[in-house]
Amino acid sequence: MNSKELKHLLLDWRIATLIILVILSIVAIYPHFENGDLVSNLQYGLDLQQGSWIQLEMKGEVVGYTTSQQLEPFLTNLSQQLGTQVTPIDATHLEILKAVPQDQLEAIFEANGGNITSYSPGVSKNTADDVKLILENKINSLGTKDAKVNTLIGFNNVARYIRVELAGVDMKQAQDIVGKQGKFEIRIVTTNNQSEHVLFGNDITSVQTPSQEPPGSDKWGVSFTLSPAGAQAFRNAAISYGATTDPSNHYLMMLLDNKTVYSAPLSTDLANQVQTQPITQLYASTGSGTYGTQQATDLEIHLRAGALPVDVGIAATGGQSAPMGERYKAMALLAGIFALITVGLVIYYRYREPSIVLPMVCVNASEVLILLGFIALIRFQMDLPTIAGLIAVMGTGIDQLVVITDEILHEGKVPSPNLYLKRLARALGIIVTAAATVLIAMFPLAVMDLSTLKGFAIITILGVLVGVIVTRPAYGKIIMEILSK
Amino acid sequence: MGLINYNIEKYSPKQLVIIPLALLVISLVLLTLNIVTTGMPVTPGIDFSGGTAVTIITTDSKEQIQSTFAGYPLSEISDMNNGKFLQFGTMSDTQANNLTALINQKYPDATINQIGETFGKTLQIQALLALIFSFIGMAIVIFIAFRTFVPAGAVVLSAFADMAMTAAVMNIVGIPLTLGTVAALLMLIGYSVDSDILLTNRVLKRQGKLNDKLTGAFHTGIIMTSTTLAATAAMFIVSWLGSVEILWEISAVLLIGLVADILNTWLTNAAILKWYVQKGGGK
Repeated sequence: MNSKELKHLLLDWRIATLIILVILSIVAIYPHFENGDLVSNLQYGLDLQQGSWIQLEMKGEVVGYTTSQQLEPFLTNLSQQLGTQVTPIDATHLEILKAVPQDQLEAIFEANGGNITSYSPGVSKNTADDVKLILENKINSLGTKDAKVNTLIGFNNVARYIRVELAGVDMKQAQDIVGKQGKFEIRIVTTNNQSEHVLFGNDITSVQTPSQEPPGSDKWGVSFTLSPAGAQAFRNAAISYGATTDPSNHYLMMLLDNKTVYSAPLSTDLANQVQTQPITQLYASTGSGTYGTQQATDLEIHLRAGALPVDVGIAATGGQSAPMGERYKAMALLAGIFALITVGLVIYYRYREPSIVLPMVCVNASEVLILLGFIALIRFQMDLPTIAGLIAVMGTGIDQLVVITDEILHEGKVPSPNLYLKRLARALGIIVTAAATVLIAMFPLAVMDLSTLKGFAIITILGVLVGVIVTRPAYGKIIMEILSK
Repeated sequence: MGLINYNIEKYSPKQLVIIPLALLVISLVLLTLNIVTTGMPVTPGIDFSGGTAVTIITTDSKEQIQSTFAGYPLSEISDMNNGKFLQFGTMSDTQANNLTALINQKYPDATINQIGETFGKTLQIQALLALIFSFIGMAIVIFIAFRTFVPAGAVVLSAFADMAMTAAVMNIVGIPLTLGTVAALLMLIGYSVDSDILLTNRVLKRQGKLNDKLTGAFHTGIIMTSTTLAATAAMFIVSWLGSVEILWEISAVLLIGLVADILNTWLTNAAILKWYVQKGGGK
């Protein structure tokens, strides 16, 4: 092949795309030396690096129901008898934030003139999102890097499990972090930026979700309830430090773990009320629009001080040590390289022609490289099943290169361009059908959230797509140039 | 490739199909027996049954390990090269925490996984659903791609036989159903039809003599399966040497499945296609 032909080949769009993607992938992976160690942008799952994970079960249930009663009193009765919050999700579903067995629940519903039509353990998507936010905040406030919180939401939109992954933390620490409550405190500014203690988080008996006040005004805030003792303490402090008479100079501060999370004066209205009697029901406004909503959501979490809206239990947990993670990583790399070599040998045994074998192995390796680049780019955490998937992609990727080669080589070595295209099209037909089956086979896993297998399925699907869209067409072009020699 | 002579000409479709058919029947009987005794076609591992799995790299003997964990429901110690895999039954939260503490003190480099029973059950149901959905999805793609009943049915039947035989062998050699092996089975659903699609395409869409087409397809197809076998075998060997249990299980299942696939593609599927073409189907 002379330089003109080579240039012509490189300018072909299929090959150009492949080369550009390979270069971009190497940039994305960015392998470099740091303090003498080879590091890259690739992220690893908790089987390949030190860390712990905890799968929490949210102990509530979502039930489908019917009732002949009026909705409001029906819900109030249920809530009282169950001793927990009962929230309607839609016209036919209720969320109960307490673990109650199905038969007990059925009896209570019947006694109140209702019926249960479905029962799924777990909580609504909204509650699950709250739990996720609270956990994330808690983890972040402790300065833990590399933490991931994922809700597993089922087909019926009910979330039962939430998975917390903490890199670099052992199992005991992880359980401490997840179980730890923050210290919430309300203080009042006295003089010269000094402040005095009013009450702690244990005097806050309940916290509502963000609401608009007045309703529909787009002015957001969070209301919360104080215990009678808390309300008394609040009144005494507000009066003695002058917050009721001169609110603008005596702001109310809320602190979580000694950091100010909210600060505002008492409203004139509230100041007057507090002056006359203890108030248990308070409302902290946070502003309007998206900003106000966001602030309100944050404040709600802070007021809860890391307490979750629903009881959780540990459904599963695990930990990986640093040496074992390193060992697995090394073994996975070794398996990958060894697999590429054996695949190359099998191909060589079949074709005995370096000019066919070399491009095949290179295209195959570039496919894995592009996938790794993508994995680095989306900061996907590679784990052992994903690596097994990558190695399998290597084996099957080369299969399809064999299909292309054999279709084109069929009867005679040098097909005319016309015939070549026809044969390539036929080969691609076989490949696309095969690819479609893999895509479909992996699809349930990709949407089902089966713990760690979701990533594996997504990577396998990506592998198939990269193969069909980028590497096979490029290989078809390369092999044609080589065979027409 | 001169190693294997694929001489399909000599045999009638009936003769070709008899061996895989017998194996399929035996596999199905074994799987049914397993369902009767354990409730699942393949014995579930820790991931699905719940319990604690611990991986340690140690030269301690099984007896030493047993005495270390005497107070805990240690149900199994298996080893692979110098890695030891310990399995514990389900226990209370306190006991589980004590166990974690003990392991961290005795074997600080261990990998620990604790799966609660209910969570395992949830995963198990989801895994079975994933397998069923993905098999149905694959079958739909095949029927859309070939649009004729017999050839498409033959591909789906061989894929089913692959799965059944693989599952039966998993039981025989004692590979449990875990998240990893479910992944491997799903890969098999996707990949095992590769060579069937090639075979069907070659036989139905190409001109020429049937036997030539079968032999030609075999020539290409067996290389396809061998490359995947080679990659998988490499993974199998490395993961055995390095005691990486999950990779070892995945590659073992893939190896079994690929061997079953060779049998089912070139005997079952080829036989049905041969019969179909001789009856006047296709071109």
